[in-house]
This record gives sequence, structure tokens and C-alpha cells, in this order.
Amino acid sequence: MWRLNKVRHKAGGHANNLEELRTKRREKERALRQARRDRQLVSKRLLLNEDEEQDTMEVTPGEQDVVTLFQNLQHGGTEKEAFLRPLSKALRNPSAQLTFIKLENSMHLLVGLLTGSDARCRLQAVRCLHELSHSTHTSVASACLPATPYLLTYLSGQSTKFTELCLYTLGNICPDSERVKERLLAQGIIPALAGCMQNHRHNLAVVEAAGFALFQLLQSKDAVQKVIPTVLASSLPSQLLSVLTPDPDFGLAPAIECAWCLHSLTSSSEDHRELLARGALRQCSSLLVSLGGAVADGNTDQGVELLVCPLLRCVGNLLSSCPADALHSQLAGVDLVVLLCELVVALIHTLPALARETAWVLNNLTAHSTESCSALLTLNLVPRLLELLPFSQGINTMVLRVLANVAHKKKEFCIQLAELGLLSALTATLKMADQDMVTLSLEVLFMLIVSSPQIAEQFVSQGGLSVLEAIQYNSDGEVRRRATYLLEQHILSEKYISMLGEYEQDRFNKFWLSFRYSAT
Amino acid sequence: MLQPDLVQLMAMGGSQTHNGDEEEGFRGAAEQQEEGNPFTFNPQLLRLHRDHELFEDGDVFRHMYLQDLFISEAEEQLAPSISEFGCHISGCRAVFSSLDEYEHHYNSLHRHVCCSCRRSLPSARLLDIHIQEWHDSLFTILAQKQDMYLCLVEGCGQKFRTSQQRKDHLIRLHKYPPDYRFDKNRKEKGTREASREQRTDSAMEAADDVCRSEGVCEVICSVESNQLEQEESMETHASSEEAAPFEDFSASAQTPETNTERLKPKYSYRVPKTVCFGHGSVRGFRGQRGRRK
Repeated sequence: MWRLNKVRHKAGGHANNLEELRTKRREKERALRQARRDRQLVSKRLLLNEDEEQDTMEVTPGEQDVVTLFQNLQHGGTEKEAFLRPLSKALRNPSAQLTFIKLENSMHLLVGLLTGSDARCRLQAVRCLHELSHSTHTSVASACLPATPYLLTYLSGQSTKFTELCLYTLGNICPDSERVKERLLAQGIIPALAGCMQNHRHNLAVVEAAGFALFQLLQSKDAVQKVIPTVLASSLPSQLLSVLTPDPDFGLAPAIECAWCLHSLTSSSEDHRELLARGALRQCSSLLVSLGGAVADGNTDQGVELLVCPLLRCVGNLLSSCPADALHSQLAGVDLVVLLCELVVALIHTLPALARETAWVLNNLTAHSTESCSALLTLNLVPRLLELLPFSQGINTMVLRVLANVAHKKKEFCIQLAELGLLSALTATLKMADQDMVTLSLEVLFMLIVSSPQIAEQFVSQGGLSVLEAIQYNSDGEVRRRATYLLEQHILSEKYISMLGEYEQDRFNKFWLSFRYSAT
Repeated sequence: MLQPDLVQLMAMGGSQTHNGDEEEGFRGAAEQQEEGNPFTFNPQLLRLHRDHELFEDGDVFRHMYLQDLFISEAEEQLAPSISEFGCHISGCRAVFSSLDEYEHHYNSLHRHVCCSCRRSLPSARLLDIHIQEWHDSLFTILAQKQDMYLCLVEGCGQKFRTSQQRKDHLIRLHKYPPDYRFDKNRKEKGTREASREQRTDSAMEAADDVCRSEGVCEVICSVESNQLEQEESMETHASSEEAAPFEDFSASAQTPETNTERLKPKYSYRVPKTVCFGHGSVRGFRGQRGRRK
């Protein structure tokens, strides 16, 4: 089971086992990464019986043959349930799955049992279907199509375990083929899910399953046209939002599923009015503040980053559609600014990818909000951001962008930023190999320098002239232009020249004079 | 000292950028567009689509969790990577993991570079002396009549009639080695071939030594002829291999009379690929913009 709050006991503790596990995980990670790049990232879930331990997922030897079981079932009379149990176990085997669906009337029989009058048979039948749904062969998913209208009907039933199984079965088969997905949509999966979540809102296991099913539905490539509008028009957005706060007893899992659904909604579609109207931004940001604070302090439940990640993304994308004047009312105040800074600093060594996403959200927050920028300064968060400037792979460019957002607001901010050490940081970032960093650094330097003559003086006294001189010979024309402009228009005035030693003055006069005359 | 129009430009530069009072920020590149202002930064809201690469890691972890392979502990996490520093000088592709290394590289190779012959000198003073002695025709004239060759040791102040005399002085009095690298002579015409070869070898040797001992490479300048300073300015050719994006430095640095063929491949095979020829920061002068008289 994947319930995070259950302690996992790995079989034995052998180094071999652990190493194998690690290798398997690494391979899997590689495969997932490639699948994502191919836009084929899809996962399925298998709900185990309560009596099954995770480690006994391998097919037990001595299982009965599927064909035999099926034959027994056909002639079984009143003892069908006795054959259904071993059948569901047998169907965990991939080849058995394929065999089974090719048997004549096999699915018909199963659907019959699913809808029959024997409740226990229904449960076992749905279990069999669930095992089938977990198959990686798309033919198997298609074979389950006859069952779908019933599975959907049962979503409005009351039996919780049964409903859970239906939901996971549906969630597993819907990404498999276009045909299946379209059939499900036509049969009303979205209203069924909405109704189900509503009815079972107090049963978090069912809520989690419904969240999963919805997530799967939202992964389809044409979700924007075919799925999302209907979802947004239903009661699902409010329900998803209401589940976001994790239950301390049950754990994070339902919140995780719902948060990922919200992320799918906000990142696939550009129309966020519906979600904004329901307070999605406020809710996600305040939840982020309370959860993220724990992460930043290092007190984390296992897997809380699985919830923080989609929340960050929702906030990030919702911020990009929230009009600037509405920002204040939508957000959880300046706490978000503080939290984001703390989070990015805390995550940089443990989860740098998530740190980068956090920095992105910070950019969207500070882009048009003078208040947030002011908070960064007054709450002394800038020095911590400056410490992040050495980290590459998109982190320092995003952080510098945030600082640029601050500088862009007011000259007063520029002066404060310079005092807090941004100017000296720039003399380092201007020398980085990453051209984006150099370009952005020049932009920030420009803003700082034009905001106050003292800053230009300071820059010169820190040896900035030679840095710009070097950049004059950069291979990128735009970079050269900016460096030249900065030097000629804003730095090289008599005042600063006099700060240099006599020799340097002379040299510079010779150099820049001739450079000017020969420059095109 | 400064040209009048330059002064004017500089005076203008400081005040032109801001419309309105001090409190206002940078409203937008368009609004504050003084002529030729290339700066364009504006805060931007970045909307990321679900398939964006920034989301890759998070998505992968999400699916690891779905498939029961998720591990919360950071045991498998990679450490964040640190930005490298890169030499800006076009054509020099050196990259460094620390700022100190970068500074050392830049200061050693690109700082005190002679604009005429591209030779890199270790200090401003030696550069000055080099320029005077090698590229200043006035110096040559004066040197025929008076002691012009200044002792290289700072504070000594003695001057000599010939560079050989100075060299002897350096060896005898200041205990300099006879093959002191920063006191090479300009070679005479007649011995050009031999001396060129010899110097290239010794220069290479020097470069090798330098590379080994200090990790700093000297820019070697091979002299074509010694009539005019322009004609002497040439680059060795391993560097032209590296200078792919800006290919015409060596070419444009020559006088029209100088023949390209004479420059090029003669030395390249002699220069080991490990020798790094830094490029002078004055290269912008010599590049596409024509020669300075």
C-alpha cells in the first residue's frame, strides 16, 4: 500500500536487497523521465487487499490456471465466489490477464457477476476487473469497456470498499486509449466523480481514489478541450479545494491527489477565473504557508513535498493570471513572501528542483507587487537570496530575476539592495559562464547604477570597471552593447575617472577614446 | 585630457534616464528609452504549462510515488550544481569553478596586453616598457643618441644604451636569469628565419614551463618583420584555431603588404595544443573595426 503514514517494513535488511531496490528505483526513475519527455507519462495503481503485504506482490506459485478457473466459474452454480477469489489472484499475472480476455465470454461473465444479485460476487468481480485494469497492455483496458457503465453507476452507491475499487479501476483504464476515455466521458464520468466525492466526502480513502481517477482523466492530451471545461463547470473544483487540508489521522494522500488535480487544471488551461473565483489562490497559498513552514524548519512528515509541489505550482500559475490589484485580497498576506524565501533556502540542498519551482513562484509574486518587494527588503530576506546566486541550473537566474523585480519598482529599493550586498554579488555573477546570468546581471546593474551616483562610485571602487571591460569582448553582441552603454553613458565620467590611479586613467582614456571612434 | 564631445556625452548620460521624481522606478524600457538604451528588463509573470521542463523532476517524483517507489529521504538526491565562471574574452573558452581561478586567469592573460602585438605582460609597468621599446618609433630614434633602456627592476632607475647592456645589468646586479622571459628582444631581419624558429621553440619551451610551473600561459607573438609596429603584430596560429567566432584578428592586424601565407601555418604545428594563448583585451580594436594608426 502506498499510504504514507503506514510504516514500511522492507523484507530483511540485507544490503543486497537494499542495493537491488536502489538500482530498480533508479532505473524506474530514468524510465519515467524518458516517458515524460515523450509525453507518455502515465501510472496505474493497484489496491491491495488488506491482508496482503506489499512484499507479497509477486504471484504466488501454485496458483490455479485461469482457464480452469473460468471454466469452473461458468459451471459454478452457487459457488462462484469460491472461484472468483483465486481468479483475482491469478489475474495479477500479466500473461494470465491476456489469456483471460481472449477466452470467449469471459468478460461477459465477469460483468454479469459484477451486476448480479450476490454482493460478495460483485466485490470479487470488481476485484478481478481491478487486477485487469492494472495491465500495461492497452488491449486489456479496452476489454474492460463493457463494465464501465456499471462501474460509473456504482460510484453513486454507498459501499465504500466497492466504490474505492471501482474508482481505481476507472482511473487505471482511462489513460489507456482514446476510445476508453471518450466512452467514459460520454457515459458521464465527470458528474459521477463529482457526486461520488460529495457523497463520500467523509471517507478519505474514497476521496483519495476519486482524486486519483480525476487526475488520470486530466492527463489526456486533449484535456483542455474535452475534459477541463466540464470539470470546471461542476462542483469538483470546490470539492478538491475542500480536501486540500490534510487530515492528521488519515494522512496526506487525499490532499496529494486533489492538489495534483488542481495543478493539472491550472497548468493545462489558461483560464483560471473559475478557480480564482472560488478562492483557490487564497487557499493554496495559506496551506502552503502552514505546510511549507514545517518543511523549512525541517519537521517534515514523510512525503509532504508531494503536497507542497503541486501547491507551489498552483500558486505560481494562478498568480500569473491574477490581476495585480486583486492580489492583495487573494493572498495570505506577506507571509507567503517569507515562506517562499525560507523554503527556497531550505530546499536548495535537499530538493533543488523544488527550490527552483519555489523561486519561480517568488518571481510571479514579486513581478507586479510592490508590497511583496518591500517585504523582501524590510524583513531582511535579501541576504538569504543573495546566498543562492552561486547555484546554477536555473536557480540563480530565477533568484536574480526576483531581485530585478525588486529593483525595478523604486530607486529607493535599488539603493537598499546595493547596501545589502547585491552590487558586490553582481561583480561575481557578471563573470559567470552562463550567458543568461550575465545578461540579467547587466540589467540589474544598470538599474542600480542609474538609481544613485553613489552606486556607480561604489561599483568602480569594487573593481567593476575591469569586469565591464572584459564583457566588452564577450561573444554575444547584445551583452557587449549593454556593457558599452553602461560604461559610456553612466560610469565613465570625470568624477569616476579621477578615482582611478594615474596610469589607469591614461590607459582608459586611450582605450575608450579609440574604441569610441572605431565602434560602429 | 578628454575630448570635449566625450565630456558632453558623459554629462548627459547621468541625468537622462528618469522622467519624474526619484521615487519612481523603471517604468518600462519604452518609456525611458533614451537613444540607444539597450536595457529592456521588465518584471514578467511566467506561466508554465504542465509539460514544461521545469516541472520534470516534480512529475517524476509524483509518479514514483504512484508506483510505490517513492522515498522521502534525500538519500538519492543530487546536490545542487554550482555556477561556473567563464572568461568573457571572445575566443577564450576557459571555464573555472571558482572566482579566484577566474580572476587569476583574467589578470594573468588578459590584463596587460599590448595592443600592437598582443603579447601579454605580467604588469602594467612591464607593459609600458614593452610598448615603448617595441612599438614606439620615437623611442627607437631617441635610443640612438641616449640611454633609453630602463632597468626592469622597479626602483633601480638605471638606463642603458642597448637592451643587451640592460640585460647584462639585470644578470650581474640583480641576479636575473639569462633567459628571463619578459625581456625578449626583437629580432633582426637577417636572422629572422633562425631566430623565429629559435624563439618559437624557446617561447614554446617557456610556455610549457610556464604552463607547468605557474599554470599561466604566455601569449606568444611571432614577429614577421621589424619595420613598422603594425607589421610586427601577428598572432600565432594555434590561437586562431581557438578563435573560431572571431576569425580575422590576425588577418586584420597586419598591414596590407603583409602576406597571409607567411603568417599562417608555419608555426601552428610547432605549438602544442595544450598551450593556451590568451587573447588580448584590446582585440576589439583590431577586429572588424579596422586598424588603429
